[in-house]
Amino acid sequence: MFFDFHVHDIQLAGEAKRLGYRGIAFIQSSENECKSNNINEIKDDFKIFSGIEIYAKNPEDLRKKVQKFRGNKDVVIINGGNIKINRAACEDPRVDILAHPYKNRRDSGINHIIAKKASENDVAIELSINSIIKTRLSLRAKILSQFRQILKLQRKFQFPLIITSNAYSIYDLRTPEDIIAFIDCLEMTPDEIISSLSKNPMNIIEKSKIRKNVVVKGARIIEQDD
Amino acid sequence: MKLKILPPSLRNPKRYISFEAISGVPLSRDEVISLVWEASLNFHGECKTSKFDLWIMKVWSTKLSHDKYIIKGIIQCNRGEVSSVRAAILLITKFRGKQVVFHTLGISGTIKAGIKKFIKLEN
Repeated sequence: MFFDFHVHDIQLAGEAKRLGYRGIAFIQSSENECKSNNINEIKDDFKIFSGIEIYAKNPEDLRKKVQKFRGNKDVVIINGGNIKINRAACEDPRVDILAHPYKNRRDSGINHIIAKKASENDVAIELSINSIIKTRLSLRAKILSQFRQILKLQRKFQFPLIITSNAYSIYDLRTPEDIIAFIDCLEMTPDEIISSLSKNPMNIIEKSKIRKNVVVKGARIIEQDD
Repeated sequence: MKLKILPPSLRNPKRYISFEAISGVPLSRDEVISLVWEASLNFHGECKTSKFDLWIMKVWSTKLSHDKYIIKGIIQCNRGEVSSVRAAILLITKFRGKQVVFHTLGISGTIKAGIKKFIKLEN
Protein backbone atom coordinates (compact mmCIF):
# COMPACT_ATOMS: atom_id res chain seq x y z
CA MET A 1 0.00 0.00 0.00
CA PHE A 2 1.89 3.05 -1.26
CA PHE A 3 1.12 6.75 -0.85
CA ASP A 4 2.42 9.88 -2.51
CA PHE A 5 2.13 12.78 -0.10
CA HIS A 6 3.27 15.64 -2.32
CA VAL A 7 1.15 16.05 -5.46
CA HIS A 8 0.31 19.56 -6.67
CA ASP A 9 -2.52 18.75 -9.08
CA ILE A 10 -5.71 16.93 -8.12
CA GLN A 11 -6.11 15.77 -11.75
CA LEU A 12 -3.16 13.43 -11.14
CA ALA A 13 -5.24 11.24 -8.81
CA GLY A 14 -6.37 9.02 -11.72
CA GLU A 15 -2.84 8.57 -13.04
CA ALA A 16 -1.51 7.85 -9.52
CA LYS A 17 -4.19 5.20 -9.06
CA ARG A 18 -3.25 3.61 -12.41
CA LEU A 19 0.41 3.49 -11.38
CA GLY A 20 -0.41 1.57 -8.21
CA TYR A 21 -0.71 4.14 -5.43
CA ARG A 22 -3.44 3.74 -2.82
CA GLY A 23 -3.66 7.43 -2.00
CA ILE A 24 -2.23 10.88 -2.57
CA ALA A 25 -2.12 14.14 -0.65
CA PHE A 26 -3.16 17.07 -2.81
CA ILE A 27 -0.87 19.87 -1.65
CA GLN A 28 -1.74 23.52 -2.12
CA SER A 29 0.62 26.40 -1.61
CA SER A 30 0.08 28.65 1.42
CA GLU A 31 0.59 31.62 -0.93
CA ASN A 32 -2.36 30.86 -3.21
CA GLU A 33 -4.61 28.43 -1.41
CA CYS A 34 -8.06 28.05 -2.95
CA LYS A 35 -10.91 27.10 -0.69
CA SER A 36 -12.35 23.72 -1.61
CA ASN A 37 -14.28 21.86 1.02
CA ASN A 38 -14.67 18.38 -0.38
CA ILE A 39 -11.14 17.29 -1.09
CA ASN A 40 -11.15 14.30 1.23
CA GLU A 41 -12.54 11.65 -1.07
CA ILE A 42 -12.37 7.91 -1.13
CA LYS A 43 -13.03 6.35 -4.53
CA ASP A 44 -12.66 2.56 -4.84
CA ASP A 45 -10.16 2.42 -1.96
CA PHE A 46 -8.16 5.32 -3.40
CA LYS A 47 -7.75 8.10 -0.84
CA ILE A 48 -7.16 11.79 -1.49
CA PHE A 49 -5.97 13.84 1.48
CA SER A 50 -5.75 17.60 1.66
CA GLY A 51 -2.51 19.31 2.47
CA ILE A 52 -0.76 22.64 2.54
CA GLU A 53 2.82 23.58 1.73
CA ILE A 54 3.89 26.50 3.86
CA TYR A 55 6.38 29.00 2.49
CA ALA A 56 7.66 30.89 5.54
CA LYS A 57 9.97 33.89 5.60
CA ASN A 58 11.18 33.30 9.17
CA PRO A 59 10.42 30.99 12.14
CA GLU A 60 7.82 33.41 13.55
CA ASP A 61 5.98 33.52 10.21
CA LEU A 62 6.15 29.71 10.08
CA ARG A 63 4.51 29.35 13.51
CA LYS A 64 1.72 31.77 12.53
CA LYS A 65 1.00 29.92 9.27
CA VAL A 66 1.08 26.50 10.94
CA GLN A 67 -1.43 27.78 13.52
CA LYS A 68 -3.66 29.07 10.71
CA PHE A 69 -3.70 25.89 8.56
CA ARG A 70 -3.26 23.05 11.07
CA GLY A 71 -6.95 22.68 11.93
CA ASN A 72 -8.33 22.19 8.43
CA LYS A 73 -5.63 20.21 6.60
CA ASP A 74 -4.60 16.57 6.91
CA VAL A 75 -0.98 17.19 5.97
CA VAL A 76 1.12 20.24 6.79
CA ILE A 77 4.34 20.50 4.80
CA ILE A 78 7.04 23.12 5.32
CA ASN A 79 9.08 24.19 2.32
CA GLY A 80 12.62 23.75 3.60
CA GLY A 81 16.01 24.91 2.45
CA ASN A 82 16.70 27.74 4.90
CA ILE A 83 18.51 26.40 7.98
CA LYS A 84 16.38 28.51 10.39
CA ILE A 85 13.16 27.29 8.75
CA ASN A 86 14.42 23.69 8.83
CA ARG A 87 15.10 23.92 12.54
CA ALA A 88 11.84 25.72 13.39
CA ALA A 89 9.88 23.10 11.41
CA CYS A 90 11.53 20.21 13.22
CA GLU A 91 10.91 21.85 16.61
CA ASP A 92 7.17 22.17 15.97
CA PRO A 93 5.14 19.00 16.67
CA ARG A 94 2.22 20.37 14.59
CA VAL A 95 4.30 20.04 11.43
CA ASP A 96 4.02 16.74 9.54
CA ILE A 97 6.70 16.96 6.85
CA LEU A 98 9.77 19.09 6.20
CA ALA A 99 10.10 19.13 2.40
CA HIS A 100 13.48 19.12 0.67
CA PRO A 101 15.65 20.57 3.52
CA TYR A 102 18.65 20.30 1.12
CA LYS A 103 17.17 22.68 -1.49
CA ASN A 104 19.69 25.24 -2.83
CA ARG A 105 22.27 24.17 -0.25
CA ARG A 106 25.71 22.60 -0.30
CA ASP A 107 24.99 20.48 2.79
CA SER A 108 21.92 18.35 3.49
CA GLY A 109 20.21 21.07 5.58
CA ILE A 110 19.96 18.62 8.49
CA ASN A 111 22.48 18.29 11.30
CA HIS A 112 22.47 16.14 14.44
CA ILE A 113 20.51 18.78 16.42
CA ILE A 114 17.77 19.16 13.81
CA ALA A 115 17.67 15.36 13.37
CA LYS A 116 17.17 14.88 17.11
CA LYS A 117 14.38 17.48 17.18
CA ALA A 118 12.68 15.85 14.16
CA SER A 119 12.80 12.50 15.92
CA GLU A 120 11.37 13.93 19.18
CA ASN A 121 8.54 15.79 17.44
CA ASP A 122 7.83 13.10 14.82
CA VAL A 123 8.44 15.44 11.89
CA ALA A 124 9.08 13.48 8.68
CA ILE A 125 11.92 14.56 6.40
CA GLU A 126 11.04 14.42 2.72
CA LEU A 127 13.24 13.08 -0.05
CA SER A 128 11.79 14.36 -3.30
CA ILE A 129 12.19 12.26 -6.46
CA ASN A 130 11.45 15.39 -8.50
CA SER A 131 14.68 17.03 -7.36
CA ILE A 132 16.57 14.04 -8.82
CA ILE A 133 14.74 13.74 -12.13
CA LYS A 134 14.76 17.49 -12.82
CA THR A 135 18.55 17.75 -12.43
CA ARG A 136 21.46 16.28 -14.38
CA LEU A 137 25.02 15.07 -13.89
CA SER A 138 26.95 17.00 -11.22
CA LEU A 139 23.90 18.59 -9.61
CA ARG A 140 22.16 15.19 -9.47
CA ALA A 141 25.27 13.65 -7.91
CA LYS A 142 25.26 16.43 -5.31
CA ILE A 143 21.61 15.78 -4.41
CA LEU A 144 22.24 12.02 -4.17
CA SER A 145 25.08 12.75 -1.76
CA GLN A 146 22.72 14.97 0.29
CA PHE A 147 20.21 12.07 0.35
CA ARG A 148 22.97 9.81 1.69
CA GLN A 149 23.80 12.32 4.45
CA ILE A 150 20.13 12.44 5.49
CA LEU A 151 19.97 8.63 5.46
CA LYS A 152 23.03 8.42 7.68
CA LEU A 153 21.40 10.74 10.24
CA GLN A 154 18.09 8.89 9.93
CA ARG A 155 19.75 5.59 10.88
CA LYS A 156 21.22 7.20 14.00
CA PHE A 157 18.31 9.35 15.18
CA GLN A 158 15.37 7.37 13.74
CA PHE A 159 13.28 10.32 12.53
CA PRO A 160 10.55 9.39 10.02
CA LEU A 161 11.58 9.58 6.39
CA ILE A 162 9.16 10.02 3.50
CA ILE A 163 9.68 9.69 -0.25
CA THR A 164 7.41 11.76 -2.48
CA SER A 165 7.18 12.66 -6.15
CA ASN A 166 6.50 16.43 -5.76
CA ALA A 167 4.59 16.05 -9.04
CA TYR A 168 3.07 18.87 -11.08
CA SER A 169 2.15 16.78 -14.15
CA ILE A 170 1.90 13.14 -15.26
CA TYR A 171 5.50 13.36 -16.45
CA ASP A 172 6.67 13.74 -12.83
CA LEU A 173 4.91 10.64 -11.48
CA ARG A 174 6.75 7.29 -11.27
CA THR A 175 5.48 3.86 -10.24
CA PRO A 176 6.22 2.90 -6.60
CA GLU A 177 8.20 -0.15 -7.81
CA ASP A 178 10.45 2.08 -9.96
CA ILE A 179 11.01 4.40 -7.00
CA ILE A 180 11.90 1.39 -4.83
CA ALA A 181 14.40 0.24 -7.49
CA PHE A 182 15.90 3.73 -7.67
CA ILE A 183 16.18 4.23 -3.90
CA ASP A 184 17.74 0.76 -3.69
CA CYS A 185 20.76 2.31 -5.47
CA LEU A 186 21.23 4.56 -2.40
CA GLU A 187 21.82 1.43 -0.30
CA MET A 188 18.57 1.80 1.61
CA THR A 189 17.25 -1.45 3.05
CA PRO A 190 13.88 -2.76 1.74
CA ASP A 191 12.32 -2.16 5.20
CA GLU A 192 13.43 1.49 5.18
CA ILE A 193 12.04 2.01 1.66
CA ILE A 194 8.68 0.40 2.45
CA SER A 195 8.28 2.41 5.66
CA SER A 196 9.07 5.68 3.85
CA LEU A 197 6.54 4.99 1.07
CA SER A 198 3.85 3.29 3.10
CA LYS A 199 4.14 3.18 6.90
CA ASN A 200 5.19 6.76 7.59
CA PRO A 201 2.47 8.36 5.37
CA MET A 202 -0.14 6.21 7.14
CA ASN A 203 1.23 7.29 10.53
CA ILE A 204 0.85 10.95 9.50
CA ILE A 205 -2.82 10.39 8.67
CA GLU A 206 -3.43 8.44 11.90
CA LYS A 207 -1.80 11.28 13.84
CA SER A 208 -3.91 13.84 11.98
CA LYS A 209 -7.11 12.01 12.94
CA ILE A 210 -6.42 12.02 16.69
CA ARG A 211 -4.71 15.41 16.79
CA LYS A 212 -7.83 17.30 17.93
CA ASN A 213 -8.08 15.16 21.07
CA VAL A 214 -4.43 15.40 22.06
CA VAL A 215 -3.92 17.60 25.12
CA VAL A 216 -0.15 17.21 25.49
CA LYS A 217 2.22 14.69 23.96
CA GLY A 218 1.23 11.27 25.28
CA ALA A 219 -2.19 12.31 26.65
CA ARG A 220 -5.45 12.57 24.72
CA ILE A 221 -9.15 12.83 25.46
CA ILE A 222 -11.07 9.65 24.70
CA GLU A 223 -14.74 10.15 23.94
CA GLN A 224 -16.90 7.80 25.99
CA ASP A 225 -19.54 5.80 24.13
CA ASP A 226 -23.01 5.71 25.71
CA MET B 1 31.28 -17.64 -40.35
CA LYS B 2 28.59 -17.30 -37.70
CA LEU B 3 29.47 -18.38 -34.17
CA LYS B 4 27.75 -21.46 -32.84
CA ILE B 5 25.15 -20.60 -30.16
CA LEU B 6 26.29 -21.23 -26.59
CA PRO B 7 24.65 -24.12 -24.74
CA PRO B 8 21.97 -22.95 -22.25
CA SER B 9 24.17 -23.76 -19.24
CA LEU B 10 26.78 -21.25 -20.43
CA ARG B 11 24.39 -18.42 -21.36
CA ASN B 12 23.81 -15.53 -18.97
CA PRO B 13 20.37 -15.68 -17.36
CA LYS B 14 18.15 -12.89 -18.72
CA ARG B 15 15.13 -10.95 -17.57
CA TYR B 16 12.73 -8.95 -19.73
CA ILE B 17 11.47 -5.57 -18.50
CA SER B 18 8.19 -4.52 -20.09
CA PHE B 19 7.89 -0.76 -20.11
CA GLU B 20 5.57 1.98 -21.26
CA ALA B 21 6.65 5.47 -22.23
CA ILE B 22 4.32 8.47 -22.42
CA SER B 23 5.77 11.04 -24.76
CA GLY B 24 4.92 14.25 -26.60
CA VAL B 25 6.52 12.90 -29.79
CA PRO B 26 6.43 9.39 -31.31
CA LEU B 27 9.52 7.36 -30.46
CA SER B 28 11.12 4.80 -32.76
CA ARG B 29 13.15 1.81 -31.54
CA ASP B 30 16.44 3.59 -32.26
CA GLU B 31 15.33 6.62 -30.26
CA VAL B 32 14.31 4.43 -27.31
CA ILE B 33 17.73 2.72 -27.50
CA SER B 34 19.58 6.04 -27.37
CA LEU B 35 17.37 7.31 -24.49
CA VAL B 36 17.85 4.17 -22.36
CA TRP B 37 21.59 3.92 -23.04
CA GLU B 38 22.20 7.61 -22.37
CA ALA B 39 20.26 7.46 -19.10
CA SER B 40 22.12 4.35 -17.98
CA LEU B 41 25.54 5.73 -18.94
CA ASN B 42 24.83 9.02 -17.16
CA PHE B 43 23.55 7.42 -13.97
CA HIS B 44 25.65 4.26 -13.61
CA GLY B 45 28.65 5.04 -15.79
CA GLU B 46 30.35 2.94 -18.47
CA CYS B 47 31.72 0.25 -16.16
CA LYS B 48 28.41 -0.65 -14.50
CA THR B 49 26.34 -0.31 -17.69
CA SER B 50 28.56 -2.95 -19.30
CA LYS B 51 27.28 -5.48 -16.74
CA PHE B 52 23.63 -4.97 -17.72
CA ASP B 53 23.77 -6.47 -21.27
CA LEU B 54 21.08 -3.99 -22.33
CA TRP B 55 19.09 -4.76 -25.46
CA ILE B 56 15.81 -3.25 -26.65
CA MET B 57 13.86 -6.20 -28.05
CA LYS B 58 10.79 -4.62 -29.55
CA VAL B 59 8.78 -1.39 -29.43
CA TRP B 60 5.09 -0.75 -30.13
CA SER B 61 3.82 2.81 -30.57
CA THR B 62 0.23 4.05 -30.28
CA LYS B 63 -1.23 7.53 -30.48
CA LEU B 64 -3.21 8.53 -27.40
CA SER B 65 -4.20 12.08 -28.37
CA HIS B 66 -2.87 14.76 -30.73
CA ASP B 67 0.13 15.52 -28.52
CA LYS B 68 0.50 12.31 -26.51
CA TYR B 69 1.90 8.97 -27.63
CA ILE B 70 2.19 5.73 -25.69
CA ILE B 71 5.16 3.56 -26.55
CA LYS B 72 5.34 0.07 -25.11
CA GLY B 73 8.35 -2.18 -25.37
CA ILE B 74 10.59 -4.83 -23.88
CA ILE B 75 14.15 -4.38 -22.60
CA GLN B 76 16.42 -7.37 -22.12
CA CYS B 77 18.96 -7.27 -19.29
CA ASN B 78 20.96 -9.59 -17.04
CA ARG B 79 19.10 -11.27 -14.19
CA GLY B 80 20.81 -9.57 -11.24
CA GLU B 81 20.67 -6.06 -12.72
CA VAL B 82 16.93 -5.48 -13.09
CA SER B 83 16.61 -2.86 -10.34
CA SER B 84 19.62 -0.91 -11.69
CA VAL B 85 18.04 -0.77 -15.17
CA ARG B 86 14.70 0.29 -13.66
CA ALA B 87 16.49 3.04 -11.72
CA ALA B 88 18.15 4.29 -14.90
CA ILE B 89 14.98 4.44 -17.01
CA LEU B 90 13.17 6.28 -14.21
CA LEU B 91 15.49 9.22 -14.87
CA ILE B 92 14.49 9.74 -18.52
CA THR B 93 12.62 13.03 -18.68
CA LYS B 94 13.09 14.71 -22.04
CA PHE B 95 13.44 13.92 -25.71
CA ARG B 96 13.88 16.63 -28.36
CA GLY B 97 12.62 19.27 -25.94
CA LYS B 98 9.38 17.38 -25.24
CA GLN B 99 8.61 15.71 -21.96
CA VAL B 100 8.72 11.92 -21.75
CA VAL B 101 8.22 9.49 -18.88
CA PHE B 102 9.05 5.78 -18.64
CA HIS B 103 7.10 3.40 -16.38
CA THR B 104 7.98 -0.23 -15.81
CA LEU B 105 4.98 -2.51 -16.37
CA GLY B 106 6.55 -5.71 -15.09
CA ILE B 107 9.41 -8.20 -15.19
CA SER B 108 9.21 -11.56 -16.97
CA GLY B 109 11.47 -14.49 -17.76
CA THR B 110 10.43 -14.73 -21.41
CA ILE B 111 9.41 -12.25 -24.11
CA LYS B 112 6.20 -14.19 -24.74
CA ALA B 113 5.11 -13.90 -21.08
CA GLY B 114 6.00 -10.19 -21.05
CA ILE B 115 3.82 -9.48 -24.09
CA LYS B 116 0.94 -11.56 -22.75
CA LYS B 117 0.97 -10.24 -19.17
CA PHE B 118 2.10 -6.63 -19.48
CA ILE B 119 2.11 -5.33 -23.05
CA LYS B 120 -1.36 -6.84 -23.76
CA LEU B 121 -1.42 -6.26 -27.50
CA GLU B 122 -4.83 -5.94 -29.08
CA ASN B 123 -5.45 -8.75 -31.60
